[in-house]
Amino acid sequence: MFGQGLIKGLQITWGRMFDKKQTVKYPFEKIEMFPRYHGRFELDVDKCIACGLCANACPNKVIQLEKEKVDKKQFLTKYIMRIEYCLFCGLCVEACNKDALKFSNIIDMNQYRRSWVRLTLVDRPAPEPTETPEEETPAKEAKSEAAAGQAPGKEG
Amino acid sequence: MKTETYTLNLGPQHPSTHGVFRIILELDGETVVKATPVPGYLHRGIEKLAEARTYTQVIPYTDRMDYMAAMLMNWGYVAAVEKLMDIEVPERAEYVRVIVGELSRIASHMIATGAYGGDIGALTAFTYTFRDREYVLDLLEMVSGSRMTFSYFRIGGVAADLPEEFFPAVRKFLGELPAMCDEYDGLITGNEIFQARTKQVGIITPEMGINYSLSGPTLRGSGVNYDLRKVRPYGIYDRFDFDVPLGQNGDCFDRFRIRIDEMRQCKRIIEQALDQIPEGPIMAKVPKVIKPPVGDAYAEVESSKGVYGCYVVSDGSPKPYRVHFRRPSYINLGYLGKLCEGWKIADVIAILGSIDIVLGEVDC
Repeated sequence: MFGQGLIKGLQITWGRMFDKKQTVKYPFEKIEMFPRYHGRFELDVDKCIACGLCANACPNKVIQLEKEKVDKKQFLTKYIMRIEYCLFCGLCVEACNKDALKFSNIIDMNQYRRSWVRLTLVDRPAPEPTETPEEETPAKEAKSEAAAGQAPGKEG
Repeated sequence: MKTETYTLNLGPQHPSTHGVFRIILELDGETVVKATPVPGYLHRGIEKLAEARTYTQVIPYTDRMDYMAAMLMNWGYVAAVEKLMDIEVPERAEYVRVIVGELSRIASHMIATGAYGGDIGALTAFTYTFRDREYVLDLLEMVSGSRMTFSYFRIGGVAADLPEEFFPAVRKFLGELPAMCDEYDGLITGNEIFQARTKQVGIITPEMGINYSLSGPTLRGSGVNYDLRKVRPYGIYDRFDFDVPLGQNGDCFDRFRIRIDEMRQCKRIIEQALDQIPEGPIMAKVPKVIKPPVGDAYAEVESSKGVYGCYVVSDGSPKPYRVHFRRPSYINLGYLGKLCEGWKIADVIAILGSIDIVLGEVDC
C-alpha cells in the first residue's frame, strides 16, 4: 500500500519524541571527557629538561621554546605553543621522554582575540648561576607566575 | 519555438554540495544539458606539504582528507610506508586497525546516509544518524583522544593500545547497531517519497562504472562485486567472514541502500575481530628516525568511499620525496558530469549526494 513507509517513519519519530534527551545544555552542563582526550596542553616544568624533542616532533612548528644554560644544566625559560596552528595530533606528547608534556581534558580554549589564543606554558627568567642555595626559590615563584600568566580567560 | 539554454551555478556555497564544490549547469528549462564540476576550492596541497615533513609527521595531514573516516586515511598512508620499509605489523595492531577502521567506516556511512536523507528533503534522518554517529565517535575518542582527526595510526602499528573500558562499550554499541540501521531503513529507505526521488535516477551501468574507474559503494551499487577487502585482502581481512552488499540497478537508491547494509557487515567484522584479538605488542620495532630505503611503494585500502591508494617515493632521507594519494571521492566525481546529463536540477542533488563525496578528499 502506498504510504505505508511514511506511516512507519512517523511511528519511529513519534516513538523517539518521548525518549530521553540526547544532548546537554552545554555551558551549564558539561560531559566528562575520556582520559585520553586531546584537550589543552599541560607542561610539568619540574620534569621538563628542555630537550626540544616535542618541538621537533611537531608537524606544524607550533612549539617555540627558549632555554638557558645554568650550572651545566639546561633551564627552560620560555615555552610557547602557537595553538592556533596546532593539529592536536599528539605527536609532541608522544615524543616527550620525561612525561612532562601532557594533554588535559579542558576543552574550552576559545578566545575573543586571536592574540590571546597563544598558549604560554612557561615564561620565567633563568636563575643566577652562582647562588646555588637560592636557585630553587626564584624558579618556583616564576612557575606560579607562569601558571597565572597563561592565556587569559582560560576558565571559560 | 526557439529556446536557449542558460547557465546556473550550483555552489560553491551550497549545503547539498557537502562543502565547497561547484557545478556549472547548462540548463534547458529544468533539464541539464551539460554539467561541469569545478573542484579545488578546498585545495590545501597536502601532497606538497608532505614533502617538507618527516614520515611520521605526514600522518596528521592524511586525517584532513576524508575527515569522515580519518582512521582509514591514516591506514592507507602507513601501509605504503610499511611496504616501503618492509615492516611487519604485530598481530594485535592489525586487529586494532581493523576494529577502529571499521568503526570509522560506520561513522562515515552514517554521515552518508543521514546527509543523503537531508539532501532529498528528509532532514529528520540527518539528526538520527548524527545522534548515532556520536556513539561511534565516543568509542574512537576513547581510543585515540580525538573525535574527528584521530592521527591514531603509526608506521609499524598504532599509537596506543585499546583501553579496558573500550571493549564493553564497543560490544554495547554493536548490540544497538542493527536497531539503528532498522531505524534508518524505516525512516528513509522505506519512505515512498524518497524512493520516488531516487529509484531509477542517475543510473550507472556496470560497464561505465568500471570504465570511469569508480570504486566503493558507488561501483558496488551497480552490482560490480569489487571490494578490496575481498578481492585483494590487505592486512588481515582474509580472516573475516563477511558479505559484500551489492545493488542491482545502479541507481541512486541502490547506492544509498548498500551503505546501510555495509554498516551491518561492519558489525560482523568488528565482532569477529573482538573475539579473535590476541595479546601482544602494538608497535613493530621501528627506528626512531624513519629513513626508508630508496625506492617507491604503493598501498591501497578500501576506504568508506572506495579504493584509497597511497604512493610514496623515498630518496633515502627522513622526508618523503613525493607522496601521492589516490582519493576515491575525486575519482568517483569524474563521472558526475556525464551522469547528470539529461536529468532535472533536483536530480543533480540526488545524484551528487548518492556518490557521497567529501571535499577534503576531493581537493586534498
